[in-house]
Amino acid sequence: MEQAPRDPERQLQPAPLEPLGHPDAGLQAAVGEEAEGARDEGSGEGTMTENNFWLKKIEISVSEAEKRTGRNAMNMQETYTAYLIETRFTRVTELVLRLHPVTFQGFLQVCVSTQNKIFLVYTEQADSRLKALNATFRVKNPDKRFTELKHYSDELQSVISHLLRVRARVADRLYGVYKVHGNYGRVFSEWSAIEKEMGDGLQSAGHHMDVYASSIDDILEDEEHYADQLKEYLFYAEALRAVCRKHELMQYDLEMAAQDLASKKQQCEELATGTVRTFSLKGMTTKLFGQETPEQREARIKVLEEQINEGEQQLKSKNLEGREFVKNAWADIERFKEQKNHDLKEALISYAVMQISMCKKGIQVWTNAKECFSKM
Amino acid sequence: MSGGPPKGLPSTGPHSLLDMPHPLAGSSSEEAVGGDSTPSPDLLMARSFGDKDLILPNGGTPAGTSSPASSSSLLNRLQLDDDIDGETRDLFVTVDDPKKHVCTMETYITYRITTKSTRVEFDLPEYSVRRRYQDFDWLRNKLEESQPTHLIPPLPEKFVVKGVVDRFSEEFVETRRKALDKFLKRITDHPVLSFNEHFNVFLTAKDLNVYKKQGMALLTRVGESVKHVTGGYKLRSRPLEFAAVGDYLDTFALKLGTIDRIAQRIIKEEIEYLVELREYGPVYSTWSALEGGLAEPLEGVSACIGSCSTALEELTDDMTEDFLPVLREYILYSDSMKSVLKKRDQVQAEYEAKLEAVALRKEDRPKVPADVEKCQDRMECFNADLKADMERWQNNKRQDFRQLLMGMADKNIQYYEKCLMAWESIIPLLQEKQEAK
Repeated sequence: MEQAPRDPERQLQPAPLEPLGHPDAGLQAAVGEEAEGARDEGSGEGTMTENNFWLKKIEISVSEAEKRTGRNAMNMQETYTAYLIETRFTRVTELVLRLHPVTFQGFLQVCVSTQNKIFLVYTEQADSRLKALNATFRVKNPDKRFTELKHYSDELQSVISHLLRVRARVADRLYGVYKVHGNYGRVFSEWSAIEKEMGDGLQSAGHHMDVYASSIDDILEDEEHYADQLKEYLFYAEALRAVCRKHELMQYDLEMAAQDLASKKQQCEELATGTVRTFSLKGMTTKLFGQETPEQREARIKVLEEQINEGEQQLKSKNLEGREFVKNAWADIERFKEQKNHDLKEALISYAVMQISMCKKGIQVWTNAKECFSKM
Repeated sequence: MSGGPPKGLPSTGPHSLLDMPHPLAGSSSEEAVGGDSTPSPDLLMARSFGDKDLILPNGGTPAGTSSPASSSSLLNRLQLDDDIDGETRDLFVTVDDPKKHVCTMETYITYRITTKSTRVEFDLPEYSVRRRYQDFDWLRNKLEESQPTHLIPPLPEKFVVKGVVDRFSEEFVETRRKALDKFLKRITDHPVLSFNEHFNVFLTAKDLNVYKKQGMALLTRVGESVKHVTGGYKLRSRPLEFAAVGDYLDTFALKLGTIDRIAQRIIKEEIEYLVELREYGPVYSTWSALEGGLAEPLEGVSACIGSCSTALEELTDDMTEDFLPVLREYILYSDSMKSVLKKRDQVQAEYEAKLEAVALRKEDRPKVPADVEKCQDRMECFNADLKADMERWQNNKRQDFRQLLMGMADKNIQYYEKCLMAWESIIPLLQEKQEAK
């Protein structure tokens, strides 16, 4: 776990980060101090005093883009993209990640029960804002492992949701195939009424067709269980993404703090030496309103030094926090990965067993029906 | 004639048949060959009850299948108690080798018709001619005309909705070929129809158009006596047994129509299921690319779904090619049967009307005039022919549907067996990995 803040020195260096005063400050605020952080979700969780940090973080993820067509106020047709915006406090996932030891299922259940989805429909206009939001999150020195993990979880989510959608359609069609056979049951029975030698065979074959048609109910019920198992991996992927997002936010926070510290150090140096190396508002005011008194300057240097001190402490603790987070998160991820492989194999086996039993039932019913037909 | 009927076979035909000119009795065959060796229609009819087993619902595969030694017909024969033929089959007809002809005026398909026979009516032991649908249609009309008392098997539908069905597609031509083959086999197996001269001409003539143009002139005046069946007589009430047949046919056609719709709907559902399966399998492949530890099991599931899709496609193809055409044939068959029933009604009505007229004229005289008697004979002959044909048809139907439905069950069993094999094969793939851990 040593590679998390691989090079604290490098990461502490001030970097030309994107200015905070970006036009998207509004949305950005959602991840800052004054965000509606504790607004709706904080309800019963106000006890996390020492871990207040988590409370202030809110995770926004945009998924399931969908093209929609509608009419606007001018009654002109327009096509726009609607996004499913999911907002959740990262502390939720953080919290459950920290529940040691936690079974995978349990972990997911906590995830599911605590997740709070907010559905918003954004028009194309909002699209650009969201893109910009993503950009602000781009940290300077991302951890490659987390980037890869994020990529994996994105793909996993997309493949599983695709799988679930197609499986549902497959099940629908299979249902149709079986149920339509039920009509044979009725018509064979009706037909048997007018046949002499064929009558008995038709009648009883019709009965087997009824059995066949109704057998699909149980089959699909079993399949639904498999679908539920797969669904858990949707949440698993989501949890992974949340961890990545969390890590990204921490890294971002760290980098911002480092930048802030660096700029304060520079200001302090400028005040001490009286040189202005970069253009700043302070420099401008100095030029416009004249030099301040040495006392004033001393006081300001003192304040700055205090702030630098504080900032250095903060940076140190943030670094520690970050390292701790990465260590724990990664251990959890590894454990879950193993659990997941095991669980999925189990799920696949039971799916195959289900299919086998369906085939056997099918063979049985058709063999019975054939027996009836052969007696006609 | 080598394939003649066994000597001691009793005639089961109604007596009246012998007194009147039967469509076949007056034909050239008797004169040409001489009474002894030519089977009388009655004998033929009796003998032919064993022939029904050779009518297979899905027959029509080229060449060899028409041979009595083929395994499926052999199997059927074993199931029949009253089978006496086997050795007595003397006429084999197959339809195969469809060819497309493109002319300036039209484009059409011809089929090769191969006939092998030891019957004296055939000069050569083997014939091979090419015929198109129109020719089959001509034959069927001629048969209806010359054998009005018999049930003529149906031809596949003539009219095809243009644009919806490609008349020259391989599937369409093959389905039609099978139906035409079936049509000829049904005639071949018929103790009376198979001796019809038009049928003979159809099977042997180099140029059928000559006969088509000259019409009856070249042939004997077969069926002259029953030709004027049409008439404005109205039957007061159908005899019970024929009324029952009429009712039966109504219900039968209705039920078959329903089965046809159900079968089509199932095929449609299966095809849609197939479309989804084709998308479903590859998703597991996509997933396997993401998962190092699960790649093999996921690929296994994907391949498995692929195998099931292939099996399903085979099932739908088989059902489309083998199941539906037989249903259609029998739906059409019931129409043919209804029209023969109507003709029979008219013959009876004519007789009843004449009888009534006689009764009004001469109440005291018990002697019935000759023409009324002839009318009565004709009616009885008709009834006998029709009853024999219906009995034959019932037997064929029972055989055909037994085979057809058993075939359907078999196809489904095979489908499930293929899927079962595929799924069972991936179980060790999933388990081994786990045990190794």
